[in-house]
Order: sequence, then structure tokens, then C-alpha cells
Amino acid sequence: MAESSGTDPTVDSNVVENAAKDRTMIVVTVKTPKDKEEIAILEDSSVAQFKEEISKRFNAKLDQLVLIFAGKILKDGDTLNQHGIKDGLTVHLVIKTAPKATSGSTSQNSASSSGTPQANSSSSASSPVPNASTPPGTGPAIQPPNLLSGFGDLSSLSGMGMGSANFMELQQQMQRQLMSNPEMLSQIMDNPLVQNMMSNPDLMRQMIVTNPQMQQLMERNPEISHMLNNPELMRQTMELARNPAMMQEMMRNQDRALSNLESIPGGYNALRRMYTDIQEPMFSAAREQFGNNPFSALGGNLDSGVQPSRTENREPLPNPWGPPGTAPSESRGTGSSTTTSSNGGTAPSVSSLPNPLGINASGLGNGVFSSPGMQSLMQQISENPQLMQNMLSAPYMRSMMQSLAQNPDLASQMQNPEALSVMTNPRAMQALMQIQQGLQTLQTEAPGLMPSLAPGGIPGIPSTTGGSVAPEGPPPPTQGSNPSADVSPSQQQQQLMQQMLQMFAGGVTTTQAVTPEVRFQQQLDQLSAMGFLNREANLQALIATGGDINAAIERLLGSQPS
Amino acid sequence: MLEEFLTGNDLYHLVKLWAYQGVKVPRNFRLLEELEEGQKGVGDGTVSWGLEDDEDMTLTRWRGMIIGPPRTIYENRMYSLKVECGPRYPEAPPFVRFVTKINLNGVHNSNGVVDTRAVSALAKWQNSYSIRVVLQELRRLMMCKENMKLPQPPEGQIYTN
Repeated sequence: MAESSGTDPTVDSNVVENAAKDRTMIVVTVKTPKDKEEIAILEDSSVAQFKEEISKRFNAKLDQLVLIFAGKILKDGDTLNQHGIKDGLTVHLVIKTAPKATSGSTSQNSASSSGTPQANSSSSASSPVPNASTPPGTGPAIQPPNLLSGFGDLSSLSGMGMGSANFMELQQQMQRQLMSNPEMLSQIMDNPLVQNMMSNPDLMRQMIVTNPQMQQLMERNPEISHMLNNPELMRQTMELARNPAMMQEMMRNQDRALSNLESIPGGYNALRRMYTDIQEPMFSAAREQFGNNPFSALGGNLDSGVQPSRTENREPLPNPWGPPGTAPSESRGTGSSTTTSSNGGTAPSVSSLPNPLGINASGLGNGVFSSPGMQSLMQQISENPQLMQNMLSAPYMRSMMQSLAQNPDLASQMQNPEALSVMTNPRAMQALMQIQQGLQTLQTEAPGLMPSLAPGGIPGIPSTTGGSVAPEGPPPPTQGSNPSADVSPSQQQQQLMQQMLQMFAGGVTTTQAVTPEVRFQQQLDQLSAMGFLNREANLQALIATGGDINAAIERLLGSQPS
Repeated sequence: MLEEFLTGNDLYHLVKLWAYQGVKVPRNFRLLEELEEGQKGVGDGTVSWGLEDDEDMTLTRWRGMIIGPPRTIYENRMYSLKVECGPRYPEAPPFVRFVTKINLNGVHNSNGVVDTRAVSALAKWQNSYSIRVVLQELRRLMMCKENMKLPQPPEGQIYTN
């Protein structure tokens, strides 16, 4: 604090003033990205006064100065006190040379470069600025605004009769106008004079190359010079420039695609993109069907990770909820044979991929996806989108979806890997369908019989009706209804089956069809012959892999399934 | 009132003392340090930060400023941000959102909110990180290939919500 020195007559006036303790000089550091200066200023100064000092010290004009302190821009009318600027603190300075020119020190480079009287030079091209409503995303596409501002200048010049002395100002103005008014751009484009010029690629090229900013740009981005040599591409770009919306779209596509590419290399990414293609129409269709069903919060957490839809250039995929297609059984054929080990490796990423069954993975927890059966399904689907559509259009899928929608409890059942393996096994599904049909027949033929089948399930029944409820045409192991050796797992399974059948039969209770153990009898025998003596583990593995012995073996040899 | 009798320094120490005695010792102390650093211009001068309101005793609401890096489309622009340090800071990362409109991957177009997952300093936050670290990382992101040429909205626009 300054001491009072009012008693000493030789002290100069400054100190006398300060002595009053009303005003104090403080030293503030002013820092630019390149420079640093200490400036002494009165404590109670205004920002404007401060800027005056700065302008002298840094040799810059007042309106070029932007001061920042503690994350806020200092406005001329503010005082230093207001912002808490005290002795010894640092204020950041940005010296703007001209709009869109290099910051920091002096620099009138943009001004000088646009000093050329030719209308074709454009002042604000130093940074690859699009700044317009016609955003050019890729390097080469940046051309249009510059060119057009060139053209624009021509037209405005002719309009003004070359009245203005300062071409740079004109150009800047033009640029600004272009920025704020996309229609203007299209108007310019429609101008026959402009079109004439544009149809002459050599002339265009000439104009572009002579612009020093453009040269700078070309240095930074060699693609541009290549592009200049390709007249077709230029014309195309011009076309694009006509349509700002399309430009934006295209640009976004490219950027998104690019960032996609760059972020994650390899197959996951390809998968992801394919899923994006499939996901969008699916989800919208799914939403329609389910309305406000919680399951329909499908793409919720995925959308943020996935880029905006490429509406312009994606063919509409057929509606997966459309009329039933061919039965998927043949296409599902080798589904379960894909290795589980690789699927296990991709488990985390898989769970973020869209669920073809329309189930929100995060909603159901990872149970649904951690099942290798499900994963192999996903893999299949990724390799063959057609497959998914086939699968989805199958009638049983539809009814399952409906039941799921009506019965959220079922979702918890879905987490059971055994249930899932049944679901993913088309033969099993077919069998279930047949059961359903059989039950319906029973219902009509012997209505009295149905009520006697209590919902709770009759554990005894499966052992007798195991294989006999409905003639199982196809594949499942043809052994008779051998009840499981282990009671508890099959009881669980039975309940599961009951629930599933319940939904198929539309609420009519049913008995269980075939226990997995029965289905896999053959495989179980094979496994034990190979030396896998743990029957229960074998069974689990087979259930998880849907009966695929090889996959089951890998499971048994590898880590425990989740 | 106190300022009349105490220098800025004294005041600062007093507050530090208070911070020590409070329950949120580590948090307040940390934030005070960050406040001081912000005022002293620690760093390379390309980012700035400070309290939104000097009277904010909870040290929660901060303002940041990023100077757009040269040779990118963000050049010559100043981006204002709001940073909110919650009660669990610095154990938990701050919430960051742009006030100045910007087109940058990881920043929501509609409201300027920064996606935690897109910024590694936020996604893999450590309690040794700070507001400065976050601001500097955002600035680095502006220099990435995928961002440095993204077309930007006209200068000076801000998010209104």
C-alpha cells in the first residue's frame, strides 16, 4: 500500500495522488500466446483505459484487442475492479487482425493479400473457412465460397460501378453476406455469368490458383491441388454448392464416416456401420409396433454413439416387420456352429450393437447378449443382413415380439441362456410352433381338457409327455422322453418352456415339450465318450451353444461361460 | 467489507483456513488453487478460467475460455464455456458445456454440452486433473484432423438453453 507522502513537497504529483490511497498503480501481466508484457495501470481503471495502454505497448489497434481474464471476456465498459484484476495477476490478450486471420501478434497478412484488385481473390480464405451456410466438409470442397465470393465481388462491383476504393472491404462484406444468407449463394450460382465461368474449368482453376490464400491452403492440403486437376470433380462440387442442404448433408456424412473410420479400426467398425444401416429402419419400425413399450427405447443409448442417419444416400431396407418371408430355418442352419471364443471376445462391443430382436440390451442387462448363442446369431447377422430380415419376418418372431411387449416378465426369462439357446435354434422354434398348433387343436377338440392344465406347471407331465405332445418332425434328438437325471435344471427349463409356450398359445397353459437334455442326448453321449465326464457342465455347454458339439467343447475347454 | 482491511493475499489465506476447517477440505482447497492459477495465468495462455461469480462461496460455477488454435477453423475465435464442479470434485469430473456455439465432435449441437465420453480427460478422469486440463484437452481436440476443418456457425452465436 502506498504510504502517505503528502508532507514531502518534492514528491511529484502522481505519488501525491496515490498517497490519498484512493488510487493505486498495479502491475498486470498481459499475455498473448506469443508474448508477455507487464503493464502498470491504475487500479480503478476501466477496461477501455487498460486497452489503451495495451494498444501502445503491443502496437495494435484498440478494436483488435480482446482481453480475457479468468475465463471471461473483458468489455470496454467494465472496470478492472469488477473482474477482480489485481496487482500481479495475468490477463490474456488476443489480437485480432481481421476476421478469420491469424491471431496473436501483428499481422496484416490477410489485409495485404486481399489488396490485389482482382476480384477473384478472397480475403478470408486463410483458414479453411467455410463459415458459410454452405459448409464444405472436405478440403477440396472449400473452393466454392471463395470462388463465389470472387464472383460475388464481380457482381457487386459491377453493381456499384466499381465505386468503392477498398476491394478488401467489399470482399469481406460479400463474404459476410454469403455467410448469413444461403439463398444468396444459390442466386449467385444461378447467375448465367457465373455459370459460364464455372463451365470453364481452366478459368476456374486459374482463379483459384492465383489466390494466395488458396495457395496456402493448397500447401496445407495437397488434395486440393489434385482436385484442381480434376474438372469433373470441380463441377460436381459446384453442383453441390448450389444446394446448401445437400452440402451440409454430404459434409456431415463424410465427417462422420471419417471419424468413424478413424476412431475404431477393423471389423468392429465395419460391423457397426452395417448395423447403422440396418438399425435405423428397424428401430423405427419397432417403435411403431411397440409404441411406448419400454423395449422400444431401443436406440436410445445407441444413437449418441451412432452418427446421424445418412438420409440422402441410403436405400430403404425392406420393412422387417412386413409380410412373413420364407422360414429362416435354412439360413439359420449353421448359426450355432460359429465359434464361441471369438464371440466371447467381442462380448462388450456386441452389447452395444443394435439388437435384431428389438430388445434393449441395457434394459435387460447383459444377459441377453452374453449368451454365446446370441452372439453367434449376431455374427451371422452381421455377415448377412438378409438373414436378419428373414428371421424377423418369421411368424413366430412376430408373435414373440408381441408377447414380449405385453409381458415384460418374460424379459427376465429371456436372460436365461437356456431359454435363449432354444430361441435361437430354429428347429426348436419350429417344434414349439407345432406344439402350439397341437394345443390349439386340442383346445378345439377337447375344450374340457385345457382348464385342467394348471398354469403352475406339472412337473410330472414332462416326463411322460416329453416327446409326445406334438410330433416333432425334424431334428431334435429322437430319443424318447427320457426325463432328466438332474431334477432341478430341468424343472427350471420346464417352467421356462411353459412360459414360452404360454405366450405362443396365447395364454393357454401347456406342458413342456422337450427338455434340452433330451434334445442333446446324442451330443451328451458323444461328449462323455470324448472324456468330458461332467454331465451337467456338458449339458450347460450344449444348451448354450444350441447343440453344437464343437462349440460346446470349446466352451468346456475354455473359460467358464458368464 | 473485509477487503478494506485486508490485502488480497490475506483474504486468500483466511479463506484457505476456512477451507481447511470445512468438511469439504480437499475440494475447496483444490478449487481455490485452481482459482489462483486461473488468475495468474498459469499455462500457455491459450485457455483461461475463473469463477463465474466471485461471491460464489461454493466454488461451483466456473467460466472458461478457449482461444481457438491457429491453422484450424477455430482460429481467432474465443470460445466461452461453463464448467460446473460438483460436490464430489475433484474425485468426480466437472460438467462442461460450451456457451459459444461450436461445431466440434463430442459437443452436442443443440446445447453445447460436452459429451464426457468424447473427451478423454473427462472419460478417464483422475483427481489430479483440473479445469485447465479439461480446457486444454478441448483445445487439442480442435486441432484434430477430424475437427479442424468442420464448418462453424457464425462467430459470436451462443447456445440459448
